[in-house]
Amino acid sequence: MAAVTLEAAHSRAELLHQPRSNKLGLWIFMASETFLFSALISARFITSGVQKPEDLNQALAFGLTCVLLVSSISAYLAEAFIATGHRRAFLAATRVTIVFGLIFIGGVMFEWREALHNFPPGTIYGTAFFSLIGLHAFHVLTGVLGLAVVLNLGALGHFGPSNSWPVEGVVKYWHFVDLMWVIIYPALYLF
Amino acid sequence: MRREWLVVGAIWAALTALGEFVVTTWTMLPEGYSRESHVVNEAYVLLLVMAVPVFAFMVTMLGYSIVAFRHPGATEDGPNLGNNKRVVWIWLAVTAALDLAVLINPGFVGLRDIRGTQSADMAIEVVGQRWSWTVTYENGATSTTEMVVPVDTRIRFDVTSTDVLHSFWVPGFGLKVDAVPGRTTQMYVTTERTGDNADDSRLRVQCAELCGLSHADMAMTVRVVERAEYDAWVEDLKNNPPAAAQQAAGATATTAAGEQNDQQAGAAAGQEG
Amino acid sequence: MRPLFRAIKWGIGGYLLGAVAAWVMAGASGPLNGPIEVTVGFIAGLIGWIFGIGGWNNWGREWFGLPPKDDGKDDWRRYFRFNTDHKVVGVQYLVAFIAVMGIGGIMAMLMRLELARAGTDFMSEETYNKVMSMHGILMVAVAVAGILGSFGNYLIPLMIGAQDMAFPRLNALSFWLIPPVAVALLSAPLLGSFEAGWTAYPPLSVLAPGDGQLLFNMGVIAFGLSSILGGLNILTTVTTMRAPGMTWGRLPIFVWAGFSASLISVLFTQYFAATLVMIQLDRIAGTAFFDAKAGGGTLLYEHLFWFYSHPAVYIMVLPAFGVSLEIITHFSRKPLFAYKAVVGAFLTIVGLSGIVWAHHMFTSGMANYFHAPFMALTEAISIPTGVVFLAAIGTMWKGRIWFTAPMIMATGWVFNFMIGGITGIFHADVATDLQLHDTYFVVAHFHFTIIGGSIMGLLGGTFYWFPKITGRMYNERLGKIFALWVTIGLNVVFLPMFWVGVNGMNRRVAVYPADLQRVNEFISAAAFLLGAGFLLFIGNLLWSAVKGPKASDNPWNASTLEWSVSSPPPHHNFPLLPEVVGHPYEYGRPGARHAVLSTTGATHG
Repeated sequence: MAAVTLEAAHSRAELLHQPRSNKLGLWIFMASETFLFSALISARFITSGVQKPEDLNQALAFGLTCVLLVSSISAYLAEAFIATGHRRAFLAATRVTIVFGLIFIGGVMFEWREALHNFPPGTIYGTAFFSLIGLHAFHVLTGVLGLAVVLNLGALGHFGPSNSWPVEGVVKYWHFVDLMWVIIYPALYLF
Repeated sequence: MRREWLVVGAIWAALTALGEFVVTTWTMLPEGYSRESHVVNEAYVLLLVMAVPVFAFMVTMLGYSIVAFRHPGATEDGPNLGNNKRVVWIWLAVTAALDLAVLINPGFVGLRDIRGTQSADMAIEVVGQRWSWTVTYENGATSTTEMVVPVDTRIRFDVTSTDVLHSFWVPGFGLKVDAVPGRTTQMYVTTERTGDNADDSRLRVQCAELCGLSHADMAMTVRVVERAEYDAWVEDLKNNPPAAAQQAAGATATTAAGEQNDQQAGAAAGQEG
Repeated sequence: MRPLFRAIKWGIGGYLLGAVAAWVMAGASGPLNGPIEVTVGFIAGLIGWIFGIGGWNNWGREWFGLPPKDDGKDDWRRYFRFNTDHKVVGVQYLVAFIAVMGIGGIMAMLMRLELARAGTDFMSEETYNKVMSMHGILMVAVAVAGILGSFGNYLIPLMIGAQDMAFPRLNALSFWLIPPVAVALLSAPLLGSFEAGWTAYPPLSVLAPGDGQLLFNMGVIAFGLSSILGGLNILTTVTTMRAPGMTWGRLPIFVWAGFSASLISVLFTQYFAATLVMIQLDRIAGTAFFDAKAGGGTLLYEHLFWFYSHPAVYIMVLPAFGVSLEIITHFSRKPLFAYKAVVGAFLTIVGLSGIVWAHHMFTSGMANYFHAPFMALTEAISIPTGVVFLAAIGTMWKGRIWFTAPMIMATGWVFNFMIGGITGIFHADVATDLQLHDTYFVVAHFHFTIIGGSIMGLLGGTFYWFPKITGRMYNERLGKIFALWVTIGLNVVFLPMFWVGVNGMNRRVAVYPADLQRVNEFISAAAFLLGAGFLLFIGNLLWSAVKGPKASDNPWNASTLEWSVSSPPPHHNFPLLPEVVGHPYEYGRPGARHAVLSTTGATHG
């Protein structure tokens, strides 16, 4: 009997701690990731300064930037909808975000095919270009996978206003990945 | 209370005196061949002189506490002295002052003495490649087995590498600089004393940055000679092809680049001196 | 043991699958061991291993809406599976890293055997470089994760009055990332040349033939991931899981030390990962980060690498500061002297550690104007470190010093780390560093800081918490002999290295000038004796863990929370949830209490 109440006490304590821990853990993780990106961004400026080749596909890059920024809005909507209990709207917004993410990845793949001819990885700009965009695209991909898991679980009826942390976490991560792009984009295309 | 501090003070003073005696009389660092190596040695001794009282204090406190305050078993508590702001502030002030002192001399002073003047009487080009050195003198002569430099001359070494990182180090000169692919690094040495690798193994060019298989053997003997002798030698080197120069120098030093060398011969590069 | 076998199967399967897929898609050199195949294979194998050991049951099932599954019972086999109990993870770390230390130690013995003679009498230079690189990276791993992984996981929740870490599954994950890392590192030399040392400086690490470097890179990146996840977990745990009344000002000093070290590992480890990714890309994708001809540069690597690897030495020593101060306090039976100043010093060290990296590069040819500021900043670190020493001697002064094995280790730590610290100034000073950089002086210096600092903390902590972890007492007499053996032996082995260093012996060489042979003979003989001493340590602990006399809950009569529960602690740590009412080190004040175990546990939170 005593053991049972103790277990209950423990799990209750865990429930009280967990949301705070999750939030803090995610923030620490994102801080850590920021350092990873900063290492590669500083490598770009150390090795090749601000020079960039003429034949960058500026239009495509600008378009992809817009896609990613808009996807942040739909991701925010997904989070807001589930927090207020609008499950259908949440699922729709998540789907839209995933589609935006996939468009972005597709766009990057298309751009790489051109870039491989114009400035291959063996050139100094190509080094920065492929490594930075590759690293970022990998993060977008993990974000899409995260969204897919959330979408699947949401479709199975898992989340609600009182239990929206996984959605919130994935969406925060998505915003973070967007933010990194907002730094990478000017570093590679605009300077 | 007061007696304890007297004892500690006495031990500290005695240890400090002993330590200072040792570090000032025992020349741990052998004498170098360049002005820069004297700067290094002086900085080294100065740091030791400054470190001795600190080290002696810690050893005294540690040793005295262990001997005087032994009390086996957890049966009794010590006094509840958790903090003493004055002690902490004094400690911080003393360590900060020491830090500042070290920073000014030998820190900034040493930096000025070594890096201060950027002019030289002559320039020598040094190229590192796995696993040998190529030295090119001002008259265009090159040598790969022995480096000869004149005494009482300020020399600028322009160092670079063709493959991986190396480090151009002559222990007897007290300095080293990395050989970096794609850029030229500079090292200024003012020779002050003649010497021969045959008498002192520290007169050798030694690679000091891990560069792969035969990193340890990437060495070359060094001679510091009188100006006239140098002039004759370098002229001779120019007129006679390197193979002949190798004979003349009688060097058994380094190994051919890229070749898996005979291990014992490689060891000899260091041992010859 | 079933999950373990499953993990091995899935790991190998993953490797094969990844390698074949890479072979088919990239059409590269060899079917299973080309550069791209090794890289992709390692990643796939790592994922397979993690899923096999417990990733699938804990996370994978959840992603598809299935309930998580726990495999196995709580008998001895719990140490061989994905276990979320922080105490199990702590023991896993401790045992694993003592084993890794043993392998690294054998490498050290082999190196000393070779260095006993000036020529290459025992092994070829190629073998020596491999052994040296292996020794380096294994011991760096032990120093980085040895204390933080074992005592950090085992004790931080106990010390702050929590039931477990904030993320128990992540905790298990960060341990189970270690075995594939070990496999990668130990098999790296088999794939050909592996000679760039643990620092892996390019272009050597890019140009070196053979694929050993690839496995090294992947292994170390995975280790970095483990380190980051572990640090993240400790930071979160300390922030959110403290028991009621456990304010920041009441945290035991070891918790502060672990917290500070975790801050560094979470932020800076990414830089090491990034540099190794760059090497990997240079090797397999033909990028030009470190190709001078294309415009890349090696100074880039050195800056980024040391931006992590200098702070990393504080990941190694800060937890040992914590362990040693903890031991000194309890065995002097006095409050920790200048607690607040020490906490301030830890955080100052964390801050300063990030802005001193270029003192490793005084000879690298970087711009001259970098030298003075980096010298100044580096020397400034001696001020907070000095506060830690003040705390040590201030606590011992007028205490009731119980000179047990852990206490010998802790005082030996003060002595040896001080030698390491003082000789560090010779490297911070540009003039002397230009001569001493990359010589045996450096080797002696960092062995005094890392063995004297980190490893002695690990050994001292192992003795100190042994009764808590195993419930049995180690043999005190053997423990004392071993502690003295290490403290003194360290000096016998490494003091002469300062001398050979200033006499022109550079590091990482199998051959050296013959006139230094006599001293090297002496060093080697002393090193064998020091190494043999560790058999005493292993023997003592193994025998005592099984046959040692039963230990009481609090054999040291110490005041911190971990000693208030049974030895070993029960599954959820505290049968009654604790409430902290005072400072942890209130020795000598009658009636002072650190915590009360309240009977109304259910209100906790």
